[in-house]
Amino acid sequence: MLRIGIDIGGTFTDFAVWKKETDGYTDVESFKIPTSRPDFSQAVIDGISQVVARHRVNVDDPVLVVHSTTISTNAVIERSQPPIALFTTKGFRDVLGIARLRLDKPIDLFNRRVTPLVPRERVFEITERVLADGSVERELDEASVISALDAARQKGATAVGVSLLNSYVNPRHEQVVLELAAKHHPDLEVVASSDVWPQQSEYERAVLTLLNVYVKSVMDGYLEKIDTFLSRSLKNAKLFVMKSNGGMMSASEARSLPAHTLLSGPAAGVTAAKTLGEYLDLDRVLTFDMGGTSTDVSLIEGGRPMISAQAEVGEFPVLVPSTAVEAIGAGGGSVVWLDGGILKVGPRSAGSKPGPACYGLGGTEPTLSDAYLICGLLPDTGLLGGKLALDVARAETAFKLIADTLGISVEKAAESAIAVATSNMMAKLLPFLARVGVGPTDCTLMLYGGAGAVHGPLLADEIGVRRIVVPRVPSVFCAFGCLVSDLLHDTMRNMHGTVLSDAALAEAAEQLRVAGEEWVARQGEISAGAVIVQTFTAEMRYAAQSFTLPVELELSEGKIGSVQNAFERFHAEHERLFGHASADLPVVIDALRLRTAGKQEKPAPKGRSGPSVPVEPRIHRRLRINGKTYFQAPVFSQGSLEPGFRAKGPAMVEQEIATVVVPPDYWVEIGPLGDIVMTRDH
Amino acid sequence: MDPILTEIMKNRFTAMAEEASTVAYRTAHTTFVKQTQDFQVALATLDGEFFAYPTMTGVTNGSGDSISGMVKAIDEKILPGDVIVSNDPFNTGGLATHIMDVHLVQPIYHQGELVCYAWSFVHASDVGGAVPGSISPDLSEVYQEGLRLRPAKLVREGVLNRDIVGIIKDNSRIGEAVWGDLEALMSAMRLLSNRVNELCEKMGVAAFREGVAGVLSYSERKAREIIGQLKDGTYTFADYIEGAEGSEPILLHCSLTIDGDEAEIDYSGSSPQVRSALNFYSGERSHPFLCLGLTNYIYTMAPTMPVNGGSIRPIRARAPLGSVMNAEFPASSGNRWVSVMRIYDTLIGCLNQAIEGGIAACGAGQGGIISASWIDAATGRSRVSVVEPFSGGSGARVRGDGVDANDTMIGYLKSTPVEYVEVEVPLVVHRYELVSDVAGHGKYRGGAAIRIEIEARVPELKIAVRGLDRFRFQPWGVYGGHPGSNSAGEVIRADGRREVIGMVKVLTLFAGDRLLMTSSAGGGFGPAETRDPDLVLRDVLDGFISAETAREIYGVEIDGDRIAADKNLSRGGEGSEFADTAIAIGPAREAFEALWPVEASVEYSKAILALPFGLRGIVGSRARAELEGHDGQLTPQAVRRSVEAHAAALAA
Repeated sequence: MLRIGIDIGGTFTDFAVWKKETDGYTDVESFKIPTSRPDFSQAVIDGISQVVARHRVNVDDPVLVVHSTTISTNAVIERSQPPIALFTTKGFRDVLGIARLRLDKPIDLFNRRVTPLVPRERVFEITERVLADGSVERELDEASVISALDAARQKGATAVGVSLLNSYVNPRHEQVVLELAAKHHPDLEVVASSDVWPQQSEYERAVLTLLNVYVKSVMDGYLEKIDTFLSRSLKNAKLFVMKSNGGMMSASEARSLPAHTLLSGPAAGVTAAKTLGEYLDLDRVLTFDMGGTSTDVSLIEGGRPMISAQAEVGEFPVLVPSTAVEAIGAGGGSVVWLDGGILKVGPRSAGSKPGPACYGLGGTEPTLSDAYLICGLLPDTGLLGGKLALDVARAETAFKLIADTLGISVEKAAESAIAVATSNMMAKLLPFLARVGVGPTDCTLMLYGGAGAVHGPLLADEIGVRRIVVPRVPSVFCAFGCLVSDLLHDTMRNMHGTVLSDAALAEAAEQLRVAGEEWVARQGEISAGAVIVQTFTAEMRYAAQSFTLPVELELSEGKIGSVQNAFERFHAEHERLFGHASADLPVVIDALRLRTAGKQEKPAPKGRSGPSVPVEPRIHRRLRINGKTYFQAPVFSQGSLEPGFRAKGPAMVEQEIATVVVPPDYWVEIGPLGDIVMTRDH
Repeated sequence: MDPILTEIMKNRFTAMAEEASTVAYRTAHTTFVKQTQDFQVALATLDGEFFAYPTMTGVTNGSGDSISGMVKAIDEKILPGDVIVSNDPFNTGGLATHIMDVHLVQPIYHQGELVCYAWSFVHASDVGGAVPGSISPDLSEVYQEGLRLRPAKLVREGVLNRDIVGIIKDNSRIGEAVWGDLEALMSAMRLLSNRVNELCEKMGVAAFREGVAGVLSYSERKAREIIGQLKDGTYTFADYIEGAEGSEPILLHCSLTIDGDEAEIDYSGSSPQVRSALNFYSGERSHPFLCLGLTNYIYTMAPTMPVNGGSIRPIRARAPLGSVMNAEFPASSGNRWVSVMRIYDTLIGCLNQAIEGGIAACGAGQGGIISASWIDAATGRSRVSVVEPFSGGSGARVRGDGVDANDTMIGYLKSTPVEYVEVEVPLVVHRYELVSDVAGHGKYRGGAAIRIEIEARVPELKIAVRGLDRFRFQPWGVYGGHPGSNSAGEVIRADGRREVIGMVKVLTLFAGDRLLMTSSAGGGFGPAETRDPDLVLRDVLDGFISAETAREIYGVEIDGDRIAADKNLSRGGEGSEFADTAIAIGPAREAFEALWPVEASVEYSKAILALPFGLRGIVGSRARAELEGHDGQLTPQAVRRSVEAHAAALAA
């Protein structure tokens, strides 16, 4: 079967193509075409058409298209959707306005909360009450539902999110609201929080429900277009969509639960890194994705990406398990400036328009990319085979004012800006690693994104990372991530307040297990061949703590272990992360989660190793790294390098739209799979 | 100050401090730490100034503090591997501001040379004393609040002093958990020590020192820049805390002098310390609690500046010894946070005069914590849990409405999901909502009040709330804005009887009883009739104000979902352009000041503070009793005469 992975970025829409099962990783093809705006689906359709033409795909050949899109995310950030309404339990009309109270800048006199997706005017209280144990304190007053539906409609709402108190333990009242809506206002789109994600926390659950409602129509329309195209030109094509958890789901599932796609963009990159990490047998991978405006990192341990419980989109919390990504600072377009005589980088970015000064698109402010160019870390011949010209003179002009003010050379100013940006990243990255209990020396840094392979090695050098990997296709890495994703579904059951027993745990686990398997079965034909792998995680804490730790539970013969066993694993995890555990303190399980994977076939890591053949550098160039100038640093072009190649830094490897910096003390080589690997001994 | 090294070192220091604070937060044992983030870990210079202070985790308002008082209290050399502990305000120069805050200091040596200090503190959930949690507004002496430990070496050259550990554990109701929190702090400080050593190794001690000096100068320079933009002159402002039931209001009197790029803050004229837990000791330095209104303003205006002690360098603050904000031993301080918030309000009141166009109206001015205790039916054991923090709307700002339900100075407060509370605590929350039509009206309106209603579902549920205020005097409005509404509390018994309870301290609810608490709301900024009619319409549609209020107060006639008529033709105007520069303090404070004008209260404070410590209480109460019966407004002279006469009578 032909598989196509597609990722839409701000500038380019990327494609990765795996033609047939016998092809390996190194046979995966990739290309990029300009992103189409405002109709993003056009570039997707054009790209697929190109693949069809190039590989002479027949109209009835089976094809799998896996797509990662930020269209839902953009809709939230741009607030571009029609009005929606929220139904909540009487007494909780301000669940959105109170929003957990906390303000993001705790002492700022001008601080304010994020404007809710639904104004108070369109929040309607329903007379009903379910208690924390699931019992009904007050029956649902149907009249209050009907009048709320009428009022929502009268206020112009096209869709409604229903999030009633304690529906995470007993969803019955929410379900009755759905039934009443279907009966009285069948044209209103109504979504219940217990269907989206039944987790305790009324504010976060209401927000997630509203996010789902909010992006539903835009996602629906978008996927419809692609689906229509596919059903005409590739009758046996199946469309899948990336999820925030790094896996995929069927397009029809995505159309009803688009909230699960909100963070799928960064997740696709991490999924790609996970796969490459498996190919290369890496135990602990720290991803480093540096784009134009920011840099994101994520950790993959033992083949498992970190899952976040605190992800955000447009300042809204996203409760569903998402691949954890941490923003650690500047991107290539981040502006360099002076703050009362102190050199600063970002957080403002020149973005892609006007962009860095060296792009010659009208930008005049100095940016990190300009600094790279001045220091020789980007080729003065430009990128994309010269299609994107880089103008050193413009970069130098942009830096001149800062250099003059500080009384230093332009080159020194540029290099200092890079050093400041590196230290900015450290200020975020080291606390992040502390939080997850990992040291930088234990990680392999995997670099992708436009500027990842330029700045990543400099950061690695600074914090003591000993091994760096740059994938052979770093610029379409997220599209590759789509190509290698599995069907992946998370389910959860609340345990907070439940009296724990082995039987209760087993019962909850069984319920989740069945739900997970049913979900995989629902995803269509491809689930038939899928190998199902299920992983249970318990959210646990000491009774007096309010933080939970996710603890993976052991399975024996497919069955979940005892509560005691879960407790032991919790103590061990607490000990590992925090250096202490108290076996005699009471432990609580707040929730049980199950991740179900329907494993898909992936390109095999068929590599080859060659003899070490000396390769002549394309040219030599002057590089400035960490205060030193290297006048004759070799510059290789990646196309000329084969497995077995090995050279010592300082050096550069040029790729199509990016360059790879090899700092002094690092060795660079081409691995058996064509990836660039840098190592240092100490 | 090297422009590049400074920024790089700032980032490196930030990385260490944030990392250490994260570690402490994650490893702490008590819920209180987790929920309120009332702890911190930071790095201090040899002079005691903080040069790296976390902002992502923990308490964010202590960067201007100094650990020098605690270090100096140790009269022997502080050696590598030592850790000093203390929770004693009076022997740490006011570093500890109440004894629930346990502070630790560890010297950081690099190759035998002392390079800086690691510091940390945690609000221990219980340090013994009269009540669980150690804090009760009524306690009048520090002895009643629990164990007080003057600075002592908890660890000597790496060896733990188990005697002190025993004393700490034995004097807390939850000794093990408190000790667990202290262990978390110590591991965070060890991490700091390692990180500083790595940095000194890499960059050299000289560069480290230069970096420390650089980041402090950087902040100082930014602070001076912001202060320099304020109008020169001296500005005064007064406000009150209500104190115990039936007692006289406690005056907080602030005077701010701006002279070029320096500021002087003086609290002379504020009330003498009281026999309740509202006091704190601030010592002889510019204590950060005396400067928060100004330092928060500086950080607001200069968001890129590093958060450290440099920000407080251009500020000199002082409070007379014996006053509420510089109370002498053995004052109790458990409930001092109300005073800190009101001190902040008075400083904002001064800043409104020093900033062209003003800055903000008064916020809710309280940061209460509602907690519940009950006997667990199954185990028979006593259980305690925090229900919710409780604040109220912030004041309206010069450029926008106030924040609903939370004051800006305590923006770090985070509520607990009601769904979580209902599992943990045997109660039902019937409402947790914003209150309509009570926030101070104005061109920008104050933040709305918050209201909570809870019902007990066990035979007996004890509710304790501290840190409440504003039951009597309203948060003020400025430039023609209206004052925000008062706090209120009420119990509805299971049989329907209603009891107005005012400020809750400790209250017993029986099964089916309900507690209804309403917070204060923020004051308004600018005349209501200048508010943008679209915002008035928005507030009506959202139900924050009634159509009647829109008409009567804002002059906007709303018909359905549109504006039918707007009586006011001119809606321009910003701050200083408003004719009305008066502060709207509300009728209760007006009535009080009709007898006790601010000048008379100031004179009373000064006259009392001039007396020997031992005479202040008795003379004060006699003079007060006499003066309360006075007909018409009191003059400062009359007040001084009365105080002096009573003092003389006692001496004779």
